[in-house]
Amino acid sequence: MMSSDTGTPERSARTEDTRTSQRISPTVVTVATIYGLVLVMILASRLISPSFGGLSQLETILYLSSFLVFCAFGQGLVILVRGLDLSVASVITVGGVLSASLMDGSNTGLLHVIPTILLACALIGIVNGIGVTVFNMPPFIMTMASGIIVYSLCLGFTGGTPRGFPAPAMNDFMQARVFGIPSPIWLLVVFAALGTLVQSFSSFGRKLTAVGNNPEAAYVAGLPARRLIIAVYGISAACAGFTGILLASYANGATLRMGDDYLLPSIAAVVVGGSSILGGRGTFLGTVGGAMLLTTLSTILSALGIGQGWKTIMEGGVILLALILLRNQVFDGLRALVMRKD
Amino acid sequence: MKTTTKTLALAAMLAGTTILASGAAQAKTADGKWLIYLSLSYSGNAWQSEAANIVKALAATPPFNETVELVEVISGTDPQAQISDYESMIANGADGIVSFPISSNALNRVVRRGCNEDVLFFMYDGTVTESCAYNISFLSGGFGENTAQALVNELGGKGKIFLSRGVPGNSVDERHTDGAMHIFNQYPEIEIAAEYYSYWDDRTTQQETAKALAAHPDVDGVWAQAGEFGVIQALLQANPDRLVPVTGENSAGFRLALANPDMQAKGLRGVSSGSGPAQSGFAFKIMMEILNGQRDALPDGQRNIEYPLPWVPADAVKVCEGDTFEEGCNVFTEDKVPSSFVSEVFNPELLPELSLISALDGLPTPGATIQPLPAEAVKLAPDMPGINCRGCDAPANLYELTKIEATVQP
Repeated sequence: MMSSDTGTPERSARTEDTRTSQRISPTVVTVATIYGLVLVMILASRLISPSFGGLSQLETILYLSSFLVFCAFGQGLVILVRGLDLSVASVITVGGVLSASLMDGSNTGLLHVIPTILLACALIGIVNGIGVTVFNMPPFIMTMASGIIVYSLCLGFTGGTPRGFPAPAMNDFMQARVFGIPSPIWLLVVFAALGTLVQSFSSFGRKLTAVGNNPEAAYVAGLPARRLIIAVYGISAACAGFTGILLASYANGATLRMGDDYLLPSIAAVVVGGSSILGGRGTFLGTVGGAMLLTTLSTILSALGIGQGWKTIMEGGVILLALILLRNQVFDGLRALVMRKD
Repeated sequence: MKTTTKTLALAAMLAGTTILASGAAQAKTADGKWLIYLSLSYSGNAWQSEAANIVKALAATPPFNETVELVEVISGTDPQAQISDYESMIANGADGIVSFPISSNALNRVVRRGCNEDVLFFMYDGTVTESCAYNISFLSGGFGENTAQALVNELGGKGKIFLSRGVPGNSVDERHTDGAMHIFNQYPEIEIAAEYYSYWDDRTTQQETAKALAAHPDVDGVWAQAGEFGVIQALLQANPDRLVPVTGENSAGFRLALANPDMQAKGLRGVSSGSGPAQSGFAFKIMMEILNGQRDALPDGQRNIEYPLPWVPADAVKVCEGDTFEEGCNVFTEDKVPSSFVSEVFNPELLPELSLISALDGLPTPGATIQPLPAEAVKLAPDMPGINCRGCDAPANLYELTKIEATVQP
C-alpha cells in the first residue's frame, strides 16, 4: 500500500510540501527508523556489557526474535484487515504439542507431519475467520474464545504434561549453522523476504490492504472480502503453528505455557513496526524490525541486573518512545527539515 | 430423614471397609463419601499436573475409591478466584480441601472461615500463614541455601553466576532466593552477573538464559529454580562444547544430563533438588488419615509439616527400570517421560501406591491399595515468618545447611 507512488487519502489531502515526499516514501523512513533504533540500542548496549555490541549479540537477537517474527507475520496480516488474533498463544501451544506428540522423537514421516500440523492450525484460523466474517463476531471475542477452547483441548489431550519429543532432525536444524550463521537466522531472512513479497508486492497483499482500508469499498469493487479475511486468519494460525513447531524443536519438547510470551509481543511488534492497529497500513519489514526492537530491548534489560519492576517499566517506556518516534507528524517534520536543506 | 440415610450409608461403609475408627468425623456427601476438593492454581505445567494426578490416582486407589469423592477445581493464577472457589467448596459441604495455594496471605480469611466449619485445609508445596491450615511443604528444607552452597563448592568460591528465578512476587521464589543469597553474600568473589525470572518453565528459562548469555558468555555457573533443563539447552546452544556447573530442580532432562558422561566432560556438574509433586499425595494421605480417625489432628498453630528435601547429586542419579522408584532409582528415561517431567513424583516410603500411570494419567496402580503412613512420617517444619506463620519469629538457624557442607570457606 505505502509504495512510493501512492499515498493514503489523508496524506494526499495535506497541504504541506509534498513534492519532496515523493522521493522518499514514509514507509521507507518508518522502516529505516526502526532498524536505526535497533542499531543504536545494540551499539549503546556496549556500555552495559563489554560482550555486547558485537556480532554474537546480533546473532542472539536475530535468533530469539525469529520466533516472534514468524507469528507476527500472521498477526500483521490480521491487523491489516482490521482484525486481531488473540488465539496466537494457544495455537503456538497446539503447534508445539502436536509436534512433540506426532513426531515423537523420530524423523520418520517428518515431511507429512509438519504439513499436517500446519493444516490443523490453519483450520483453527479458518474457524476464527468464519466466526468473524460469517457470524459477524468481533475478532477480539472470536479469537479469544477459540484460543481458550483450543488451549483447553491441549490441556485435556496432554493431561497437563505434553509427551514426546520433536524429531531429532528439527532439533538439529535449530542447532545447525550454515556458513557460520545459525540456520534459524537464514530461515528468518527467507521468511522476511517472502513475507514482504506477499504483504507489499503481491496482488493478495494489495487486496488485503484495500479490505483493511475500506471493507465496503473493497466489496463494492468486487473483492471477495470474506474469503480474504478467512484466508488471513488461516495464515495467522498456520504461522503460529509454525512458531510452535520451531519452539518445540528449540526447547526439545513442548510445554503448555510456551505460547504465552508471544501474544502481546506479536501485536506490539506489528504496531511498533509502523502498522496501524486500525488496519489498512503496514509493512512486514517494519514488523520484523519491531520484533527485533522488542527482543533487543529485553536482551539488554536482562543484562542490566535491575529489578523486575524496573525492567517492565523500561520496556513499556521504550515501546512508547518508539511509537512516538514513529508517528507520522514527527517524520513529516523531520523529512521537511532534511528536504529543505537540499 | 436425610441425616438418617447418610448415617446408614456411612455405617454400611464402615462395615465394608473397616478402616474408619470410631473417632472419625462424619462424611458430608449424600452417598456417605468424604467430599474432598482438589484446588489447583493453574494446570498446564508438568509439575502442577503431576501433583494433581497423584491425588487423583490415590483417590481412585482402594479403599479410597469407595470412600472419597474427589472434585478438581482449577482457579488460575489469581488469588481472588481461588478465594471464591474455596467459598463455594465450603458452601457445598467440603470435608477437606487439598490445595496448591496461590498466595501465602490472601487466602487466610476464607481458610479461617472454612476451619470454623470443620473443613480440613491441606496446602501442598506453597503455604498459607493461617494457623488452622496444614502446610505440607519442602520449603523449610532449605532448597535455596543448600543448592547455593553446592554451586559455591563447585566453583571454588569464586566466579560469575546467573540466578534463574521463578515467578516474581511469589513467596516460594523469595524463600529460595533469600536462602541462596544468604550463602552467595558470604562469598565476595561470587558475582551475580544476571538475575532473571523464568516462571518455572523450561522454555522461558532457555530464552532468558540465552539473553543473559549474550551479555555474559563467560558465565561460570547457574543457580536455577524449576526450568533448569532450559539452562542446559541454552548453554549448549551458545557453545556446544562448554557447560558449567548448574544447580536446579527435578526435571528428568536435568537429572539425565547430570549423569551423562558427555555432558560431564563438557563441564556439567551440579545437584538436582527442590520441589516434588509427591507433596500433594503426602498431604492428601495425612488428611485422609485424620478424617478416618487413624491419626490425631495437630493442634492449631503447629500444623506446618516438612516434606523431606530431595537431594540428588550427579553421582546419585539412577535410572529406573520399572514404572516407579525402586531400588534407589530416581529418574526415568526419555522413552518413558518428557524431559520436563518432574522426577520427584514418587516416594517409596510415603507413597508406595504410585507408579508412572498415576503421575502421567491420574490412574491408580493396578493392584495397589492405600498403605498407612509410617509412624514417624510427620515432621514439623520450623517457622518461616510470612510463609507459614504470622507474627512469628524465624529460628536463628533458618538458613542452616542440611544437605551439604561448605568445602570452600568464605
